[in-house]
Amino acid sequence: MGKIISTLITVVVAVGFSAAIWVGANLVFNQARYHWARFNGLVFGVGGFLLGVLLSGNRLTIGSEGETLGGFLNWVWLPLVLAAVFAVLGVALTRTDDDRQRLIIAIATGAVVGVGLGLLIQDQYLPSFSPIGLIGWTVAGVAIGGGLALARKKPPLNGVLVWGALFFIIGAWGTADLGAGSTVEAVIGTLVPALALGVRLGLTDNPELHTRTIIDQKSRAVIFLGPALLFIFITLLVPTVRTIYLSLLDNRSEEFVAFENYVTTFQDRGSWDASGFSNFFTSQLFWIGVVLLGIGVVLGIAQKQRTGKAVELGGASLGPLVVAGVLLAFALFTTLRGTIVNNLWWVVAVTLFSTVLGLAVAVLADKAKGEKIAKSIIFMPMAISMVGASIIWRFMYASRDISGEQTGVLNALWVGLGRLSTGSGIPTLIVTIVLGLILLGLAYMVAMALTKQNVGRAVVPGVAFLLIGWFFVRFAGIVGGGVGGFRVTADGQTVARTIDFITDSPYNNFWLMVILIWIQTGFAMVILSAAIKAVPEEYLEAARVDGATQSQIFWRIVLPQIGTTIGVVVTTLIVVVMKVYDIVKVVTNGQFGTQVLANDMFNQAFAFGNTGRGAALAVLIFVSVLPVMYLNIRRMQKEA
Amino acid sequence: MTSTGTTPVLTDPGDVHPDAAMGDDGGKKGGVGDRIYGLLRAIPPGVLWLLVLVWSIPTLGLFVNSFRDRSSQRSSGWWTSLASPEQFTLDNYEVVLGASASAGLVDSLLNSFAIAIPATIIPIAMAAFAAYAFAWIDFKGRKWLFIGTVALLAVPLQVALIPLLQLFSGGAHWTIPGLDRTITFIADFDLAGNTTAVWLTHAGFAMPFAIFLLHNYISGLPKDLFEAARIDGADHFTVFWRLVLPLSIPVLAAFAIFQFLWTWNDFLIANTMVGSNPNAIPTTIRIANLAGDFGRNEHLLPAAAFVQSFVPIVVFFALQRYFVRGILAGSVKG
Amino acid sequence: MTKRWHKLAALPIAFALVAAACGGDDDGVADAPDEPDTTEAPDTDEPDAPDTEDFGGVEIVITGSERDDPSVGAINAVLQEFGSERGIDVTFIGDADWEANINTQVEGGNPPDISIFPQPGKLAEFARDGFILPLSDDVVSSIQDHWAESYQLDGIVDDVHFGVPVKTDLKSLVWYKPSIFEGAGYAVPETYDELEALTQQMVDDGGPAPWCVGVESGQATGWTYTDWVEEMVLRLHGGDVYDGWVSNEIPFDDPRIIEAMQAPITLWTGESDEEAARQALADRDLPRVFAASGTIAQTNFADSADPLMDGQCYMHRQASFFSGFFPEGTPFADGSDDAINVFYFPDINDDAPALTAGTLAAAFNDEPATMAVLEFMATGEYAEKRQAEQTRLLDGGLSGFLSAASGQDPSVYQPLEQEFLDILLNAELARFDASDLMPAAVGAGSFWSEGTNIINGDITVSEGAARIQESWPN
Repeated sequence: MGKIISTLITVVVAVGFSAAIWVGANLVFNQARYHWARFNGLVFGVGGFLLGVLLSGNRLTIGSEGETLGGFLNWVWLPLVLAAVFAVLGVALTRTDDDRQRLIIAIATGAVVGVGLGLLIQDQYLPSFSPIGLIGWTVAGVAIGGGLALARKKPPLNGVLVWGALFFIIGAWGTADLGAGSTVEAVIGTLVPALALGVRLGLTDNPELHTRTIIDQKSRAVIFLGPALLFIFITLLVPTVRTIYLSLLDNRSEEFVAFENYVTTFQDRGSWDASGFSNFFTSQLFWIGVVLLGIGVVLGIAQKQRTGKAVELGGASLGPLVVAGVLLAFALFTTLRGTIVNNLWWVVAVTLFSTVLGLAVAVLADKAKGEKIAKSIIFMPMAISMVGASIIWRFMYASRDISGEQTGVLNALWVGLGRLSTGSGIPTLIVTIVLGLILLGLAYMVAMALTKQNVGRAVVPGVAFLLIGWFFVRFAGIVGGGVGGFRVTADGQTVARTIDFITDSPYNNFWLMVILIWIQTGFAMVILSAAIKAVPEEYLEAARVDGATQSQIFWRIVLPQIGTTIGVVVTTLIVVVMKVYDIVKVVTNGQFGTQVLANDMFNQAFAFGNTGRGAALAVLIFVSVLPVMYLNIRRMQKEA
Repeated sequence: MTSTGTTPVLTDPGDVHPDAAMGDDGGKKGGVGDRIYGLLRAIPPGVLWLLVLVWSIPTLGLFVNSFRDRSSQRSSGWWTSLASPEQFTLDNYEVVLGASASAGLVDSLLNSFAIAIPATIIPIAMAAFAAYAFAWIDFKGRKWLFIGTVALLAVPLQVALIPLLQLFSGGAHWTIPGLDRTITFIADFDLAGNTTAVWLTHAGFAMPFAIFLLHNYISGLPKDLFEAARIDGADHFTVFWRLVLPLSIPVLAAFAIFQFLWTWNDFLIANTMVGSNPNAIPTTIRIANLAGDFGRNEHLLPAAAFVQSFVPIVVFFALQRYFVRGILAGSVKG
Repeated sequence: MTKRWHKLAALPIAFALVAAACGGDDDGVADAPDEPDTTEAPDTDEPDAPDTEDFGGVEIVITGSERDDPSVGAINAVLQEFGSERGIDVTFIGDADWEANINTQVEGGNPPDISIFPQPGKLAEFARDGFILPLSDDVVSSIQDHWAESYQLDGIVDDVHFGVPVKTDLKSLVWYKPSIFEGAGYAVPETYDELEALTQQMVDDGGPAPWCVGVESGQATGWTYTDWVEEMVLRLHGGDVYDGWVSNEIPFDDPRIIEAMQAPITLWTGESDEEAARQALADRDLPRVFAASGTIAQTNFADSADPLMDGQCYMHRQASFFSGFFPEGTPFADGSDDAINVFYFPDINDDAPALTAGTLAAAFNDEPATMAVLEFMATGEYAEKRQAEQTRLLDGGLSGFLSAASGQDPSVYQPLEQEFLDILLNAELARFDASDLMPAAVGAGSFWSEGTNIINGDITVSEGAARIQESWPN
């Protein structure tokens, strides 16, 4: 019970605090335009508070530690006092437009704050100035401030005051021997910069309404972006810079080795291995791909004649062309091996399949019966943790010695199919007949479509006919040794063999990708579905009135409307896939030729202690995604 | 997610291509062709439900296995037990739901909530402001800042683990170069080992993607909306609050779902940041520990995975209704 | 962990003033308040306190890779009982990703007080990097009182004690089912030659396969094969070669190591020629091996328990903790028909070598309470209590826990576990698992992955050995 309450409090405080800061900042800057005094007081107050926090938080001032005031009050009293003093200063400055009065107010406050702070410095930090350091830094500051102002063709006084004060502080406190000095020196150390900055403040005029409006406007960008950029700076930018730096050091981060880590990575046999490339032209994938490419081109030409358009989206030629492209890519990825190739393969396969399938579900389920159920089931894998997913797919891919029962779904189907096709019982006969009938039906559909000169209509049944026909040929044992986990050996025996999904390289890579496709399709579906739902109903209605069919509405209206979103999904998936590591880690840990960059990085950096090598791999991942991000942003800007 | 750049109005029916995938050919004819046409009409829902079936098999297998004891899971396929449901047992769930040596389920669930809720809400809020600023506030260097922000999406998270842990366990200090003086900017709050460290990390890591996704949506909102509001004298704060947030509900819901899932199911960050504090471990770590050395108790994992997935699925159902058609309907004119 | 306060701020003053002067920027990048540091432990400089010193509730956190319920429960129960007597609040946490996590925690400055290392190699690395601290004299003498010298060695780095042995695994075991053995008329082999002859005999008899082999183990796939190789290096060439191999003074592609790497392959395939053996593995033509999932590489090492029980194979070489993978209620070494038993993996040169593994606890700070806990963990009392507690948590099942510490009451061990202890105590030559001593890039990297490549028939043993040697860090 206590745990529930404390959890609740944590959550509420975290969320409430973040909201309060942001809304508060907006409200403060809302005052800038019409309530300058209030605004100035608030901003000065916050500034004073921060100064106090820094002093007190670093335990520089009296009373900030120990039990003087008790707990919280110890360090918070100074910030509060400073906040009050500064707030008064801020308001006071807005009350008069007389230069002399302003200067007096600012200098007086500067003196009070400077002396006060100097007196409050703890004994062990009282500085004993090093004259050279003090003068050197101050002169440098004055020079920089003056120089900068002159370079911008402005009067140098303001710059001299601010930069001089800043460098005076460094000179006074940074080069001094702390603890050896006196209170007088401490007061000098705080009074001088306080007076200088006070003068600087007093010299500034109260801004006009126009200037205040600009302050109001400009500040919004800062307030809106500030929190997010702060988080990004700390959690991502700093570590990224650190990683780039580490990648140039050796594995123990001791010596600078320039690009040696990168060279090692590329020279590693595991990264890039083209020795099997000669198999490219003999692989089945390659030849099927080439045939489909031919079909696609022929159909494309045929269509071009019908419509007079060079490229016809949604036309019959697109399907075969896409499939051909995928097959050729796969043929390439299975012959070239290595970590980098694997990563490319992952990117192509997972991005393509997840996006296409996610889009298909989003479109098909839209307004369909049982939409919610269908989408929930497709989404389900996203909700299952990586540990769960790896267990699931272990059950899917499991194989057992052929003498026993299969415990994996896929091998059970595979071996069952084999048993069926090599069997001679009634089930085998029934399957053969059913398959035959389906083939006849498909053939009829193709024939009908062709007689009507409707090539496009023939494509789907045609492809289905080819696929099922190939299966039928194998199943009936007309050519080859039947399908499924069986093959006939030279001596006429039927020998069973399960599919080794995990260990049989290179296709095991694809079986690992299937896991991610299974998960990420839900992601693509949710995002794309939201986009489809956001397509205004009026557009669809107008198209329907014009007599467009469902598929035309999809290709002509929905698709262009969600184009940007598809870009987002594709980009996100590419990034996710480039960084994929947990699936590989859990299932194979990169063995059996399934290594990918992110897992290699994880192992090198965290398991093998090769910091430099790991950092180089991380940079490699980062850099290789950059072109995608660039293209994306360019596209978005074109549209904007 | 709409694009104002394209104006998709079908003006010329002659432009309609008769061949597009599964179009009809302009009228119903009797006879065989009609029946084939009917068959073709059944293909889209057929494809949908086939996909759904294929997608659900792995999960179904996991579900069935969660009710089977260890030796059954190891020795036979889950489908075989459908024929003999009397084998089913709740033992796995009993162990998973019961107290374990590493942590109780309720405690770890609460920890998961303490991580996932702030890690979802806070980045959404911050990224929404930022996305709005990138889309609709003009300032110098906006383009490059945006590119830089989104490019960080590509940073592998692992690289940030050590620096962040250093920050959480030791604070942030800066030694002035050349001088032997160190300033503390962020004190050592001793956050390492707390759920706070975990959600802070998640919030940071989520930011680029959240900004990317939300910016894409918010920048696509119709320009005239903003112009009208500005003429009425609304400032950015009001525009954001009154106009942008309500209109962005679908994309906010979508991102919320994912961010919740990722943080809920995260193992790596939680394990790094919580490390050696048994009072702060979320369910993912508890479940991983349940599996035991060398996966000795792997048979518990199906049940554990379901317990773990229950909350995200509820979240999905709860947020699904925000994907409403026509949220922009009133504001867009053809 | 000590907390450092760096306490000079000159720049911040300037920062805040400049910020104020420029009209405001309140996103608070700069800082956050710190709270008074009250947790700083007082420096206790007391001289050697008596063993009954009370620490007044100091918290000690211990992490380790053991993470299943009975282990974690037993360790916590025993340590907490000890802690309650001494005013120490001890917690042990099992970490499913210990290997990676300990590195992050150390570099991130957030290590536990004590961690239990399954790999002496990593312990040595940490000791040399100064992450873990030398043990106090009390702890060292406690170790010396309870552990034989060969076990102490794994915790000694450059002649300084860093690691407290807390658990021992025995690897040189062959699991079998006596009733099936006897039914087929086979006797337990006493020498390696007899083992080879028995293997051939079993194949010739046409019964079940002699060996169950599986090397799959998720992210750690391959470690079973490395165990086999280690057994063979130890048996063929003895302790000196083994030590030279561990330190890579004898490289992987040394003929002696290649011989040892080929030996298990020869036992499984019946082919002593490297290429012929590779071909047999590639063709899955292995009458001597039953692999539950069809191939050795794909078979999970734990999946060999069921076939052994069902009589699909006669023997399975695996470490002592394998008892945990048999179905609940399996009888061990009690003479019944269903009972499972082990025999010693026979030697070649009559030197009775034993391959062991285990864990060592090491300290990340030298607080007196930390040392007090370690002093206790080194004792036989700790091992005995843990064994008793773990057995109790398992309702009398085999705990899988084993410790070679002296001073334990043997009655807390069950018959089979007592056999393990006998083998351990009789071993004239005990060596720690080599892959845990080698650099992780080899011991948990290339040795595993090239090993599975060999087993998959993708490369020959010599090729694999050369590749592993190539990956040895400079």
